[in-house]
This record gives sequence, C-alpha cells and structure tokens, in this order.
Amino acid sequence: MSHEHHDHDEAMEPVQEFSRRSFLKLAGFSFAGTALAGCQQSNLENAIPYLLRPEEITPGVPYWFASTCRACSAGCGVLVKNRDGRPIKIEGNPAHPVSRGGLCAIGQAAIVSLYDSQRLNGPLLKGSPSTWDQVDAEVMTELAAIKNSGGAVRFLTGSVTSPTTRGLIGRFLASFKDGRHGEYDPVSSSAILDAHQYTHGSRLLPRFRFEQAETIVSLDADFLGTWISPVEFTKGYRAGRSLEGSGQKFSHHTQIESRLSLTGSNADERIIVSPDEVALVTSRLVALVSSRAGRSAHSVSPNLAEHLENRLTGIADRLWQTRGRSLIVCGTNDLGLQVQVNLLNDLLGNYGKTIDVENPSYQCRGDDGELTRLIDEIQSGSVQALFVEGVNPLYDLPDSTALKEAFSRIRLMVSFAERVDETSETARVVMPQPHELERWNDAETVAGIVSLSQPTIQPLRDTRTLGESLSVWLGERHGAYDLIRQEWERSVFRRRNQERSFTAFWNKTLHDGFVEVEGQGVKVKSLKRDALHPRSSSPKPVAEGAFALVLHSSLTMLDGRHAHNPWLQELADPVTKIVWDNYVSISETVAANLGIGEGDVVTIQTEEKGRLELPAHLQPGQHDRVLSIALGYGRKGTDRFIDVGPKWLQAKPTVAPGELVGVNAATLLRFENGELAYTNLSVTIAKTGRKHPLASTQEYHSLTNPDLLGGGTGERRPIIQQTSFAAYAKDPSAGSFRKHEIESLWPDDHQYDGHRWGMAIDLSACTGCSACVIGCQAENNIPVVGKDEVGRNRELQWLRIDRYYDNENGELSVSHQPMMCQHCGNAPCETVCPVLATVHDSEGLNQQIYNRCVGTRYCANNCPYKVRHFNWFEYPRGDELHRMVLNPDVTVRERGVMEKCSFCVQRIQLAKIEAKNEGRSLRDGDIQPACQQSCPADAITFGDMNDPESRISRAMTEPRFYRVLEELGVRPSIGYMTLVRDTEDSESRPSANEKGAGIHG
Amino acid sequence: MGEVFSVLRQPLVLGNKTYADITDDVCGPLEKGASLSWWIAFIVSVGVLILGALSVAYQVMTGVGVWGLNNTVGWAFDITNFVFWIGIGHAGTLISAILFLFRQRWRTSVNRSAEAMTIFAVICAGIFPILHTGRPWFAYWLLPYPNFRGPLWVNFRSPLVWDMFAISCYLTISALFWYVGMIPDLATIRDRTKSALRKKLFGFFSFGWDGSNRTWQRYEKLYLLLAGLATPLVVSVHTIVSWDFATSVIPGWHTTILPPYFVAGAVFSGFAMVLTLMLIVRKVMNLEEYITLHHIEQMCKVIIATGGMVGLAYMTELFVAYYSGNEYERFAFINRALGPYGWTYWVMVGCNIMVPQLFWWKKIRRNPGIVFALSILINVGMWFERFVIIMTSLTRDYLPASWAGFTPTIIDLTTLLGSFGLFFTLFLLFARFLPMIAIGEVKGVVRYGKGRSELKPLEPRKEGALEQTLVG
Repeated sequence: MSHEHHDHDEAMEPVQEFSRRSFLKLAGFSFAGTALAGCQQSNLENAIPYLLRPEEITPGVPYWFASTCRACSAGCGVLVKNRDGRPIKIEGNPAHPVSRGGLCAIGQAAIVSLYDSQRLNGPLLKGSPSTWDQVDAEVMTELAAIKNSGGAVRFLTGSVTSPTTRGLIGRFLASFKDGRHGEYDPVSSSAILDAHQYTHGSRLLPRFRFEQAETIVSLDADFLGTWISPVEFTKGYRAGRSLEGSGQKFSHHTQIESRLSLTGSNADERIIVSPDEVALVTSRLVALVSSRAGRSAHSVSPNLAEHLENRLTGIADRLWQTRGRSLIVCGTNDLGLQVQVNLLNDLLGNYGKTIDVENPSYQCRGDDGELTRLIDEIQSGSVQALFVEGVNPLYDLPDSTALKEAFSRIRLMVSFAERVDETSETARVVMPQPHELERWNDAETVAGIVSLSQPTIQPLRDTRTLGESLSVWLGERHGAYDLIRQEWERSVFRRRNQERSFTAFWNKTLHDGFVEVEGQGVKVKSLKRDALHPRSSSPKPVAEGAFALVLHSSLTMLDGRHAHNPWLQELADPVTKIVWDNYVSISETVAANLGIGEGDVVTIQTEEKGRLELPAHLQPGQHDRVLSIALGYGRKGTDRFIDVGPKWLQAKPTVAPGELVGVNAATLLRFENGELAYTNLSVTIAKTGRKHPLASTQEYHSLTNPDLLGGGTGERRPIIQQTSFAAYAKDPSAGSFRKHEIESLWPDDHQYDGHRWGMAIDLSACTGCSACVIGCQAENNIPVVGKDEVGRNRELQWLRIDRYYDNENGELSVSHQPMMCQHCGNAPCETVCPVLATVHDSEGLNQQIYNRCVGTRYCANNCPYKVRHFNWFEYPRGDELHRMVLNPDVTVRERGVMEKCSFCVQRIQLAKIEAKNEGRSLRDGDIQPACQQSCPADAITFGDMNDPESRISRAMTEPRFYRVLEELGVRPSIGYMTLVRDTEDSESRPSANEKGAGIHG
Repeated sequence: MGEVFSVLRQPLVLGNKTYADITDDVCGPLEKGASLSWWIAFIVSVGVLILGALSVAYQVMTGVGVWGLNNTVGWAFDITNFVFWIGIGHAGTLISAILFLFRQRWRTSVNRSAEAMTIFAVICAGIFPILHTGRPWFAYWLLPYPNFRGPLWVNFRSPLVWDMFAISCYLTISALFWYVGMIPDLATIRDRTKSALRKKLFGFFSFGWDGSNRTWQRYEKLYLLLAGLATPLVVSVHTIVSWDFATSVIPGWHTTILPPYFVAGAVFSGFAMVLTLMLIVRKVMNLEEYITLHHIEQMCKVIIATGGMVGLAYMTELFVAYYSGNEYERFAFINRALGPYGWTYWVMVGCNIMVPQLFWWKKIRRNPGIVFALSILINVGMWFERFVIIMTSLTRDYLPASWAGFTPTIIDLTTLLGSFGLFFTLFLLFARFLPMIAIGEVKGVVRYGKGRSELKPLEPRKEGALEQTLVG
C-alpha cells in the first residue's frame, strides 16, 4: 500500500456482504454502491448532507482512488483525488509499472470531460431520447431476426484493452453464425503488428524499452509526444539519460523526420528528410548495418546526398557499437518500412533486450487489413448489424461520405458513444457510455500488467457500459462490477499465484489499481533473416512542384476524441505554441517563396478530390517539400466553444459562427498497401487570400535578439544553459553562464528560520510535453479564456513552457523551459505593490493575496519573468456541472486581480497538517506541487532548501544548477539545470546546411 | 498688487488700457450671456466627455480587458495618459509660482489660466490611476487610512503610494494657490454683479475681501508663501511620477536619468499646452491685448530651452544604454528606435526635438497660427514620449518568450479622448464663470514698458475700491 492513497480497501468489499456499516462506507465513497448494485439507474438530484457521517470521510479532506487512465489506449495508472464526493483531479500513480507516476496532459485533462453537460443522458433510438428497455427490446428483436437469418454481425472498435470487454464481445459474437470483431486505431500502428506477423510469426506490438537503449534512432516516431505510449516512453527515455549521482548514463537519440515533432525537438541529432526518403534512409541503414554484421543486404543501396550518407554512416557505426543496447523505432504506418526496421533491430540484437516481444504491448491492436475487409463488407451491404465503440469511423476514416451511405443501409447500427458524434448520428441506437471515472473497467495494456478502473462518483448521466449492454443482450443482466469480478476470478486470478483467496487478491488490486501477473506467454518465432524478403517499400517521390502531406496526431487532440475538452483545446502545442486550431505547417523558406504568411488561409489539394482549406503556419525545422497537418480537429459539436471566453465589445468568438474548431484532416487519409497511410500524399498548396489569425502563446521564438541594427545577428540572451554531453563529462559545469557575485547593501529582509521552499527544473529531462501545464490548471482552478484572449496574450495558465528555436552551427536547436513564478527572495513585484497584496512569507513563498489586490498590474510589469497573469474579465467557467471540477482548496479569482503560481501552497499546508497529525516533521518529498507530481520526465524537484539532505538542496549544489536572470539580484527560488544533449562538438560536426533551420522571429 | 514700471522693456498690456478697461474686459464677458463660439466649444467638449464617461462606465462594468493591455504590457494608454496630464500641469505651476518668485512680470496675464489648466490637468491625470486598477472600487486602499482590517497599511515602498501622495499634494496646493490668487478678483465680480445669487456666492468665496491695505498686505504675503510651497512641487511631482519607472527592474524604465528628464519634459509639454489654450483664448475671448505676441514669444523660448533638455535626455539615454554594457538595456533602446513600435519613437523625436527648433525664428514665434500648430505637435510628441517609455519597454523585456505587442482598443481611444473632453469642459466652465486674467495683477503691469511721459495720472473709480489701494 503506497502512502499516497488512504486505506479504503475495506470499503470496496463485495456487494454481496452488504451490511449497514459497509453501506455507509460505500455511500461515502461517492455512492459507488449504486454502481455496484448492477444496472439500476437512479437520479440523485439533490446533495443531501450526511445524517450519519461515514467514518472515513472528513469533509474537506481529500481521498484517493486508484484507477486507470483511458484517455488513450496506453493505460497509465492514475490516482483520482476526490473531495466531498466528487473527483477533482487525476494524477499519475507512482506505483504503476507502465507509467510509474507520470501522466500526460490528456490524462490529466480528462477530469473536465466528466463534468461535460453535453455528454449523452439516456439512450437514443433513431435520434430521439428513449429508454433502456425500449432500446434493448429493439436491439434484441433485430438481433434475434439476424440470428435466425444467419446475417453478419460486426463489431468495430478501437483497441480493446479490457480483457473483460474483449471476452464479452467474443462471447456475444460467438452467439451468431457470422460474427466478427474488427479493431482499428484512428492513428494506426497496424504496420508494426503486421510486420511482426511477417517477421516473427505473431501479430504483436512489442514493448519498447527505451530505458535499456543507449542509441535510439527514431524514424518519424513521436514517441515522447503522441506515439503509442508517450508517458511510458518518456519515463524510459528519461531513465536512459540520467546525469544524477553515480549511475550516469546518457543515450544518444537521433530523430529522422520530416516535420518538427516534440520528440524531434528533444533529439541529440535531427535529420530532416522527406517522407519518401525515410524508406531510402532505412534501406541504407539496413545495408550499412548488414555490412558491419558481415552480411549482404537484400535491398539495393540507394544514392543519397553526401552529407546524409556521412551522417547515416555515423549512425550505423554508433548502432553497431551499441548493438543489443540500441533501439530503432519507426512511426510510419508502412509494412515494408516496418519489416526493415524489424530486420535492423534483429541485426543489432535488440530483440529480447530493448524490444520485448515475450511480454508485448496491447496498447495498439488495430488491424488495418481487417478494417479494410470490414469496410468492404459494409459497403457491399452484407453486414446486418454493426456495433461501433471507441472509434468514430465517419470522422476518422477517409471517404466518409460513401461510408455514411453504406452505414445507413445497415439493418441495425448501434453506436456506443459518450456524445452524439459523426458516427452515432447515423446509428439507429445510441448507447451512452459513462465517463471512465464513473465506471468499472479493466485493462491489460502490457502483457502481465492488468489494471482496474473504479467509479469515483455516482454516474452523472444515464449511461450503461458496453459490457453491461452486451450482458443484457446475452440475457445475463450482470452489472459491470460483477462482469469484471467474474472475469478476473476466471482468468486474471489464475495468472497470479500469490494470494490465497480471490477476495484478498481483488481487494489488493483494487487498492493498488493494478496487479502484475504472468504474461500470456506469447510464442514468437525467431526471425529468419535469410528467408526474409523485405516487402518492397518504394514510395513514389512527390511530383515536381507538389508537396508531400504528412498527417499526424497532435499532443492535445490525438485522433480527435478530446476535441470537446476545453483545457486541451487551450493547451498550447508544445512545438508551435498554437491553441484552438489546426493548421498546415510549411517550411519558412518555401512559405516566403510562395508569399504565404502566418495565418494565411491556403487550399490543400490532392491529386484526387481531396481538398482542405486551413490557415498556414510557418515552421522552422520542417522539410521544404513537406506540409503537415494535425488530425483530430473539426469535430462535430466543437462549435459549442463559441461561448468560451469573455464577451465584450471587441471580443472575437473562439469559433466563428457555423464553424468548428479546426478542420478534419482525416478526409485526406487513404489506404495504401492495406494500411492507413498518413504520410507522403502528394498535394499542392495555393493561397486563398483570406486570413485566419492563429492564436499562439508565444510570439517571439528565439533566444537571439532580433537583428535590428543590421549587419550580423543579434546577441544571444543568457537564459538557457546548454552544453554537449562530451563537454559535460569533462567538466560538469560546462555551458554555465558567468556567475555574478551580487552584494547587497541591505541586510536580508527574510530569515527563513524554518522551511525555505525551492524548486529545480532539469532542462535535460524536460521534454516540453506540457503535462505540468494541465496539472497546474486542474489544481489551481485556472479558467479557459478562449482563442481571442490567448491571441491577445492574456492566457491565464500559471505555468507556461517557453520554447526557443536557435540556430546552432546551421542546425535548428530547440529548447523547452518551463516558466512560472520564481518566488524571488528579492521579489520586484513585492516592493511595487501599493497595497501589499503580494508579500513574502517566512518560508520563501511569494504570496498573492487576491482579496487585497486592487489590480494595478505594477507587479506584473515589474516581473522580469512575466509570469503574473491578470484577470482581465470575469471569465465564464462553464455551467454548474462544469464548475464541479473546481478544487475547493484554491480560491476562484474574480476579475481585476492578479494571480500566479503559488508553489501549490495548499499542498504545502496539507502536508504540514498531515505531518503534524502524525506527530512527525515534514519529510523530503511529502510535498509535491501539481506540476511535479505528474511530470512524466521527473524533471521537477521541489523541497526545502534549508534541509541539507533534501533532494532540492543536493540539486542546488550540482554544477549544472543555475538561476535564470540571476544577475538582476532578484534571487529566485527556482533554478534550472543545464540542458545537456549528446551533440557533437562544433569542430567535428559536418557542416551540413539543413533545410528549414532558420530562426522564426 | 504693487505696480511695476519699466521703460526699457516691452509693454505687457497693449492698447493703452485704463484700470476700468481691464476690469471691464475681464469681468464683462462673465456678466453677459455666453457667446456662440463658447457654446459650440462647450457642446463638443461635453459630447466628448460623455463618450469618455460611457467608455469608463463600460470598462468599470466589464473589466480592464476592454483595453488593449495584456500580460506582458500591463500599462499602456492608462498610465501614458496619466503621466501626460500630470506633465501638462507642470507649466501652470511653473508660470504661477516659479515665474512669480523670479519676478517675471509677463506671467501676469497668463498665470490664472495656466493654473486653471494645471488643476484640470491634474484632475484628468488623477482619474487614470483609479481607473487603471482592476477593481477601481477598491482604489481607496491606496490611501493609508485607519481601518479594522488588521489594520492593513499601504506599502510605503511602492512608488504608486508615493505617486498618490505626490498627486494629492499637488492638487491641494495648486487648487489653494489658484483660489487664493483669485480672491481679489472674486471680490471685484462680487462688487460689480447685479444678481443677488452671484453676489452671495462670490461674496462667500471672496471671504469678505475689503480691499484694505492690510488685506492686500496679508494677501500678498500668503501668495508669496504659497508660491514658495508650490515651487518644489514643479520638480518633485514629476520626479516621483518618474520613479514609477526608474525604481523598476525593466530595461528602458530602470534609469536614473528619468527624474530630470521627466521634469524637463513636463514643463516642455505644459508650455505647449498653455500655448495651445492661450492662442485659442486670446482669440475667442478677445484678450489679444493682454496675451500678446510677446507672451507667446516668451513661452516659445521656454519651449526651445526645455525641448533642448528633453533632446539631451534622449541622447543621454541612448549613450548610457550603449555605455552601460548591459545587453538588455542596449536592446531596449535599439528596440525602441528600430523595433516594431519604432514609428512611435520617431514621432516622439520628430515632435519633441525637431519641431521646437523652428522656434529659433522670430517670425515663427510671432505667428500665432504656426505656433498653435506646432504646440499641438509638441503635445502629440510628448504623449508619444510617455507611450514609448511605458509601452515599448514592456513589450520586449527579458525573456523573449514573453515578448508581446500592444494594440489599442476602441475603448482605449475613447477614454483618451474623454479625458480631453473633461479637460476642455472644465476649462470652458472656468472661462465662463471665473476671471481668466488676474485683474489685480495685470493692473500692476499696465504701464510696464511704457515711457514716463506716457504715464497718465490714475483716475479713481467710484465703484471699485481696488485701484485706490495700488501702491505707486
């Protein structure tokens, strides 16, 4: 039992042993009891005060549930913080073996979707509200008829990671003569699985162990941002790049990509290639590695440009030197390419070391081949009943018009959805699905690690899980809880031989949120290299004058399933820093040639009918022949955000009337060789002459001053300390700015007798993933302000991540720097406030007293870091339901007051109270601000600088530690650690003049 | 006031005025109905004032967000307007107090209006520190008043608190000085008026002035003392206002040159505004014989001098930025001149350094039309000076990621306009109801600059006791 969550395993005792006492406990735990009791639906409209207070609940004291994140299929472990019966925050579960305490921005933002009043309430029959009995009758009648006629019944879902649901779907389909289940991922990794089918004889997604890798080569895989399981990979990546203590190791990461991804922005070495060159580069790598392995390669060596050839030779040497400790991943959904990558990894002996196929991952199970077959079936009209869950085929698949028409011909179409989306709109029956925090669920996303989800609140809407519905249709009528328990007793419990009784096993698992059991023992063939004929993969290069279009998932929207989440819509993309829109990214030089400026609406035209109009964004680090667009935008219903943000004379709505947030780029997807193809579509671009201003949280993008005087570049500002690993190994203080001895004429104002809080942020660890931004937003009740306000530079997020592009030896170098209130010892804001609304406390916190603030904004003007945020308006905080997400520990600020990072003072207080109650002093690590808690990269350290043993004190003595703008004498309590990258020294670096490495001013 | 003579200098009042003529010229218009031109000017001013008042009401109801400010640029039009108006006021105090102490007799025909201008400008200025707060209904928290919240005190380290003291002090002293100077004239109006209400009102406000020798003596002593009190304010108020910026850490704000720079600028802009007003007033109110071309010339000369100081300050700033070796400081000034808002800098330089150079030519100085146009340009330039200092310094400070721009909103513009509406409304009301020229003082210089032979014996008037008290 980890100390983070309180004892409540007893409370989850099985419902069969219902006593008065346990009832009260259950009632206390968010009335989960009603969910346990099966399919009963009750409407609780009034909050009733406790007549008899349940023992465990102290009003005002939070309690935690261990659960599993389902915001994507990675399945990170989470802890859900409840206050007085409602969940208010989702954090990473430090004990969970997949995510190890990390949680991405999406996972943390999922809490706000729970309180979305636009979620479906009750089933829909032919588009109108209905009752469960009616829809059950309708479905069962139709199914009976189909069963008799032997008609085809199909399930179309996303990757089903729940063993219980998978089993139920299987049982359900087995009851029909012709039942099949097709899974697909809207952002597909199907080719990886297919490639392993081809090379290893088993269709599986291996588990990538970035922590074991010393050399990482990523071909267009954004594994730190969006690819498969970013939190898990970030944890691993970080573990493989540790500069602390004696266990120093530092992997070398090469990113070969066509657009600047978050992962690319963190790479030690970045090679910009066009999508068609990725295949050439891979073939060449196979050839180079084969020759080092003393084997001849099957593929012909393509002719590559000399500088590219040189770099690939270097990479091949490095890979060969670290064979068995290297890892090559590829994000292109192309079978031929993935087979070559498998071959490469096999040649390097990475299987069984950095790539685990024995205990594979189930995070992506999509099968594009199966999907194609299913679509063909549907279009041929042979499917009688179609059940859709977890995906939105009419949105995320190409050719949706034809598909929609085909769907309308299906006899029975049932959609399981949280809201009416593009697909459920056409369905005869829509079965509303509960939010993940309202339901029981389970997940096995990595072989041998099975996680549980449990309800943390009485369902807010009239919903029923897929499993419950299937159970009803199978004539069993089991509740979700029973279904999972039965399944676990039958299968998961058997795979573990530690506990005697299932009850003990179950209670422990429920408490922990997961259990580690034996994997299912995947037998894989060893790869026979000689028999392997890599499937030809020769993508045709795009025509002269055309561009290669790359469609990618964005870190906030993924495939569009989070389009209704206002926090994520307003979370700046970690690279472009743009909010509330998607856009086509284009290289700066090309844009200049074409006369395209930022925000110009352009038309993207494919060779076929495909056509999109969307604004252009000028992106450094982008290949000149490549245009890239994020998927997941233009979702139905996002016109709701017209209401976001303050209303005033010159306010512009976040969404123009009649429009959606962004445009859907999935219409340009296509199937190529049986796989969904995201890259290398040949398109042309043309200006429309219209403008669509993009709102960005950052307007200037370089650390170098703009060259206003002409004649040479401006000065580089000493904000980010950066060095190479080689230099660091020689001298740990490499890259440090000159330190200034600052003497003061004045005695210290502050004594700091007790604690003195401080923070260190490791720039080498930080990937810029922005999980901390959402963590802070959830913890501190930061409202969403809308696109117009962000465009006016009035975003309210207390924590921002500054992203700088810099030109280093002709190559683009990107750095991410989280920036929030630095809690200065000599705070410039404190002296200028006329009413003492911002003051220093005895523990070094710079405190903002909202009810004293009159809002002169002098403090913000005088802040050298510009981290103070003003409430320009009374910001709308959504409806009553939406406001349930507010954290009662943090004041909701009114208009006209200043606000900023408080170092999560409420958490400091809570930890102090807990320590006091337990009669002990605070321990290092008791206090974790929201940003630190869920950081997937463990980049943030917080603690007591007065305690010489604390981690923060040790961090401060490291040679890498520095403070930003230290020379001003403001004495910030936050320090940063030099950004170390395994870049080559400038002398040895080839003077390759990469395209698009310009600086964007 | 004691009468002064000079045979060497130019006459200060033209047209061989008798004392009676002066009294009639100044008081006459107050006793008649308002002229058409006054009404037109008044209606326009009140219209603009109402526009401003509506903007302010909208802003107070909606939030400061209706201005174009953002998290990087927390002050722009609001504090620019504040500093601009405070600066305007300084010329009035300089004319009425410092020139009085220096015995610059030419001040007598403009000092009353100039002081009125000071007070109205300070009122206009004082509005902005209140309005710029996010919660103006709590702006009184800037005052150190006894309270039950602890008691909570103000932060005496904050320049905004100093500002609050400086401005309230300035307003009080200026108003007092203005009012005291007006008492003999109020008595004159009291004595001339036929309306009972006016008699009562002016009787009350003239404190039962009896025009006796003793009264005059005491009055003059008090006036001298108040002039002495007001004199340091000319330097201190704008010095303190400049500390809002000088004590900060923001490059472009954090410079020690700001206090003298601001004071010179304030006098510079104030004289430009006095010129603007006086050129209208002498035309509209037929005071061309009192506010003569000589007066205008004098004020133009002050503008050349103060404009030179301002120009020196601009160059010193640039030099120090370069010489300091501080890269942030250097960039702030390069950015000021060549950055995205460089045009504002060049408007400032053009209006404040180039324009005053034209005043080296006597022909220009003596051409009211050209002087009027140039005085307006200087006003524009000085507004831009404050805007450049405040806004461009904020747009690009330390961390490039937090750099931002500023675009004014409609409300920004209407609020600025509205402050002019308020200013002109107050000034027009002043011109309508109070003596615009210090009658008693002007009578003292009526024979200034005239030869002995031209001096006629004084003819005592029956109804006015004032003239009899003149000391020969």
